[in-house]
Amino acid sequence: MNFPILSAITFTPLLIAVIVLIIPKSKENLIRWVTTILSFIPLVLAIFVFAVVRTDPSKMHFMEEYSWIPSIDVFYRMGADGLSSIMLVLTALLSTLCHYYSIYTIKKRVKEYYFLFLLLQVGMSGVFVSLDFIFFYVFWEIGLVPMYLLIGVWGGERRIYASIKFFLYTLAGSMAMLLAIIGVYLATGTFDILEAAAAQPFAGNFALSAAAFWAFFIAFAIKVPIFPFHTWLPDAHTEAPTTGSVILAGVLLKLGAYGLIRIVLPLFPDTFAYYSYNVPIIPILAVISIVYGALVCMAQWDLKRLIAYSSVSHMGYVTLGISAAAASLAIPGGGAEATTSAIIGLNGAALQLFTHGIITGGLFFLVGMLYDRAHTRQIKDFGGLGAKLPYYYGIMMVTGFASLGLPGLAGFWSEFFVFRGAFAILPVFAAIGVLGIVFTAAYILWKIVQYVFLGEFDQEKWDQATHNAPLFDMMTFEKVTMWPLVILMVLIGLYPSLVVSLLNGVSTAMFSNF
Amino acid sequence: MTIPINWYLLVAAALFCIGLYGVLSRRNAIGILMGIELMLNAVNINLIAFWRYMDQVRLTGQIFAIFVFTVAAAEVAVGLALVIAIYRNRATIIVEEIDLLKE
Amino acid sequence: MQDFFFSITWLVPVFPFLAFLIIILFTQNNNKLSHSLSIGSMVLSWLVGWGVVFSAIATPHLGEHPIHFSVPWFPTGTTNFEIGFSIDPLMAVTLFMVPFVCLMIFIYSVGYMGYGTDEVDPRYARFFAYIALFATGMLGLVISENLLTLFMSWEIMGLCSYLLIGFWFEKNYEDPNKITPRQAGLKAFLVTKVGDLFLMLGLIYLFVESGSLSYADTLFNHEFLAELAHTPALPIFGGWSAASAIAALIFGGTVGKSAQFPLHVWLPDAMEGPTPVSALIHAATMVSAGVFLVARIFPLLSVVVELEHHNPTMGLIAFIGAFTAIFSSLIAITQNDIKGVLAFSTISQLGYMIAALGIGAYVAATFHLITHAFFKALLFMGSGSVIVGCHHEQNMMEMGGLKEKMPRTFWTFVAGGFALSGFPIITAGFWSKDEILAHAWHEFMNEGVMSWPFFVWLLLTIAAFLTAFYTARQISLTFLGKPRGHHAEHAHESPNTMTIPLIILAFFAVTLGFVGIPEEIIGYGNNWFHNFIGHEYPATPLSLPVMLLSSGLAVGGLGIGWLVYGRNPLLQGEMDPLESGMKKIRLGWLYEAMRNKFYFDELYQATFIKGSVKLADIFYNFDYHWVIDPFINLVARISRGISDLMNQFDEKIVDRLVNLTGLSGIRLSDLGGITDNKVVDGLVNGIADVTGWVGENVLRPIQTGKVQNYLLILLISMLAIIGIYLVY
Repeated sequence: MNFPILSAITFTPLLIAVIVLIIPKSKENLIRWVTTILSFIPLVLAIFVFAVVRTDPSKMHFMEEYSWIPSIDVFYRMGADGLSSIMLVLTALLSTLCHYYSIYTIKKRVKEYYFLFLLLQVGMSGVFVSLDFIFFYVFWEIGLVPMYLLIGVWGGERRIYASIKFFLYTLAGSMAMLLAIIGVYLATGTFDILEAAAAQPFAGNFALSAAAFWAFFIAFAIKVPIFPFHTWLPDAHTEAPTTGSVILAGVLLKLGAYGLIRIVLPLFPDTFAYYSYNVPIIPILAVISIVYGALVCMAQWDLKRLIAYSSVSHMGYVTLGISAAAASLAIPGGGAEATTSAIIGLNGAALQLFTHGIITGGLFFLVGMLYDRAHTRQIKDFGGLGAKLPYYYGIMMVTGFASLGLPGLAGFWSEFFVFRGAFAILPVFAAIGVLGIVFTAAYILWKIVQYVFLGEFDQEKWDQATHNAPLFDMMTFEKVTMWPLVILMVLIGLYPSLVVSLLNGVSTAMFSNF
Repeated sequence: MTIPINWYLLVAAALFCIGLYGVLSRRNAIGILMGIELMLNAVNINLIAFWRYMDQVRLTGQIFAIFVFTVAAAEVAVGLALVIAIYRNRATIIVEEIDLLKE
Repeated sequence: MQDFFFSITWLVPVFPFLAFLIIILFTQNNNKLSHSLSIGSMVLSWLVGWGVVFSAIATPHLGEHPIHFSVPWFPTGTTNFEIGFSIDPLMAVTLFMVPFVCLMIFIYSVGYMGYGTDEVDPRYARFFAYIALFATGMLGLVISENLLTLFMSWEIMGLCSYLLIGFWFEKNYEDPNKITPRQAGLKAFLVTKVGDLFLMLGLIYLFVESGSLSYADTLFNHEFLAELAHTPALPIFGGWSAASAIAALIFGGTVGKSAQFPLHVWLPDAMEGPTPVSALIHAATMVSAGVFLVARIFPLLSVVVELEHHNPTMGLIAFIGAFTAIFSSLIAITQNDIKGVLAFSTISQLGYMIAALGIGAYVAATFHLITHAFFKALLFMGSGSVIVGCHHEQNMMEMGGLKEKMPRTFWTFVAGGFALSGFPIITAGFWSKDEILAHAWHEFMNEGVMSWPFFVWLLLTIAAFLTAFYTARQISLTFLGKPRGHHAEHAHESPNTMTIPLIILAFFAVTLGFVGIPEEIIGYGNNWFHNFIGHEYPATPLSLPVMLLSSGLAVGGLGIGWLVYGRNPLLQGEMDPLESGMKKIRLGWLYEAMRNKFYFDELYQATFIKGSVKLADIFYNFDYHWVIDPFINLVARISRGISDLMNQFDEKIVDRLVNLTGLSGIRLSDLGGITDNKVVDGLVNGIADVTGWVGENVLRPIQTGKVQNYLLILLISMLAIIGIYLVY
């Protein structure tokens, strides 16, 4: 079958964007519905890819390769293995939900909003399927501008500050990455990611290898974000519109971690191992992100900022898992047991990308819904909503507990796998990192659930805080937005194999090459 | 009997002058656009005429004419869009009142 | 038949889970349907569960050959992790207790939550959903075949206990220092979560060592255990073996869940939940899960003893258990909340079981686990019946004289209380508690006074006396004498849905002990319980002195309690005789300390809670005010500064150079004479003037901003250019 399915997934949003451009600006409803309905095309295709890849997740499927800029060997290369395919599903799913949710919530500049959002979707999907550095870089950058504009135009009060901070931080990362890409090209003579990995650039030269490694690492660390590159995230999240936050937390942060797994680990395994085991800078940063992020959450009084910090903490698990996997390569005489642990840790990290995407995406949706009612996000303005909004409360409880890693829901597995992998390889870091779980439970149950939902509802306080906003339970479109996420949380919680089997194939294949 | 090339050139020149007059004298922006079209078509007539009478082997003249058509079409589309946009903003298409460039 | 039941064991937790899903998704508005679903699912679980139990009992040599079923669940590298269930004696006896007690409590809840009355709880259906989910967790824990599903069920119970303790989450008290249900739920969840961290690390450690968590590969695999006992642990554990280290970490989970010292603080506050919850979670099942877990990993403990004759982890377990037992029974004798007494009594009894496991009395601990579940559930439900009867009054000082008003509750409560105190021969508690004490005595006779068994025996014996004493105090204060409050005066007996479960449980509280009577008493070597569950461990020999002593202590404790509180019942407003007595002998401070639970809540509040909140603030400031953002802003400012500098460079240096050139020109012209200067200046000024004039008077009027004018100019210029071209 020669149908270029990955190109179709990546560029269908672009096509929709063109259609949106054609539709007159005044027909807002038409724009909204056309986008939402057509965005099912990439979603269905992505699920199809997922189903096909599931049969043999370890190798690349649906490869496409065309010469693009022959003078410098840049190719149009796409392919999807297990990791790519689940990230594609995540991107398409969250995008479709955002399009749908925006039908009811975006009232300002609808056409421009949808256009930019679709462009963003192109960039994100493209990163997950491209197998050529330049191609990868182009998509990486494509995502940057729409997000900047989404925050800057549809954001909150301090949106200009936040958007510029976001832009500068990520741009700084991109520069480092571009330099590193050129370095790799000079060393290997190819922009093909798989070939470059096989060629092992700078294998003999530690200094150069370390330089390229850190250039890539910082670029990705800013996006993840890893402590101390994280302060753009709370600002960007707080000011972004709801859907922007969802995509930012759900997919954009994953780009960085995806890069670590797809590029940094295969290209520089020994350097990565060196900085994870012999000089354990990366696990230290990961553990700091976990514990520090979770503790800072407890000091927040703004719901969105709190969840933004929780992302810092949760993405720390990802970094820990990846660095544990890398560290296994440096263990003298590690053998099969270390490899198994490394694979499990890497599975956990990759699984966390998916589960964190759906869980935190869900949390941002929920906070957005509350904000739409109350026009405030201050935790202290709320109280006793549990009895007033039972449906909302129920969904929030499921999502919150998934986020704090309750077994039986999706978040548990990624944490468990990460700690399982890390404990065998970096026991001290794993033991410290586990503390994050208690703090996570504390801020979710104390800061969110207890302050916002429990206790007695005080009508006067509510009226004062929200200027007499009406209070009503979830509407149909909000339920429709949340249910797919909730179902996935439970499904993966009970049957992790659904996703893990794909990741396991990828990590097993990766470690069999080392 | 063949029609000498002069006739075509005269028609084209006349058409061009009419177009030019229209462009310079009309107050309505759409009228100006129509004038431009006339001028472009005058050029086309010249191009085709010269091709027919001079060098029939190479298709240069025809190709150019086609180019001009396309450009003209695009130009009309953009021009009309601009006119509509101006109309929305200023509720007029009388060019004398549209002197934003002065500011 | 047996195989049939064994093959459908997995259904046991599935029934209540389905009930939970259906209630929470569809039938929340229908109270009757909801409780029918919940109870119906429990009946099914109970029937299947007991089917499995009796099939297991009928299977010979089950202990040597436990039955496992498992299917692949998720991949781990090149191998698969499997999920399944196992059937072995420990699981069978626990499965005997759990669904049955759960069922009793479910039925009781119908009455307690006010079904059919005006006071029916607004979230009645949701309550039944939660308890069904809870039962799922507990049953899942019992049947699971690996420690991971055990852990998952464990956490699900934690979730349910959070939801159920905080069930009345809107409740506020006038006294701001009194803990509200929502705070109690949070406290329970977080404190147990601390223990769970250790448990999780322990599981992961075991997983790392073995590559599997299934019982068949780890706990029931003697070769593996022996190897583990010879593997040195991570350096942080000193010279322990990996087996001891793993067991110690796993035991951390038990400390949290079974409310052992120092993580016991959550359980007394958990009494803020509805009473059936207290019975279900905090007496019969969830807290017992901690003991169950230690019993589960007992092979891991005993293998070390077997090989090394000494296991530091068991010492730790024995110490914590025994200390908790005495510590919390001291607190229990001063509490006035009817459920508060039972809460501390539960902690204390769990301490018994933990201590028993710590000295190797595996069978005795399991035995006590089962009997305790029955009589403690009974006591909690009895107290709930009293609370409903007294219109939600919980202070025993306001009660009294309920014996006549609530006869069924009284007699069942007495049965439970006597079982708790270990009243000789006719109660279940006597046999199980006696077995623990006898085992400790036996071990201490072997090992001498300087050993854990002696310590355990001593503390537990004292605790046994205290237990009997506070039980007598509780019964006397609640039921005897004259009513001391108006709620007690208007008390009424509870509905049948509540009293019938009490009667059924009371039956078991009295008779259940007979399955484990020491063989010497029966005479022909048939301690059935021991043979079924602990055939590989030697039976605890009967020890007459211990039995006499514990009987004496039980009867004596009850008697003294009755003398102090029952013979001359307290009058309204009278001080607790214990308090006045202790004050007389200058132990008032001790009484205060006991009453205030030895100030652990305050201690934790001041250290851990305040500490982490403070740390959170510090870190936040680190991000925003102190280090990171200031640093980013600094970078921004520096780049701004650099660009300013560049600008300055342009203005000051480059421009100055240009100016300098100009100036030197001027100087040169100066040198050349004033005329030159005037000419040059005049020229320059003249050019400027001309340009200005032209701009103002010629060019500006042309710039009309009208397109057509521009075009006209264009045309004229074109014509002019063409003209010039044509002319020349």
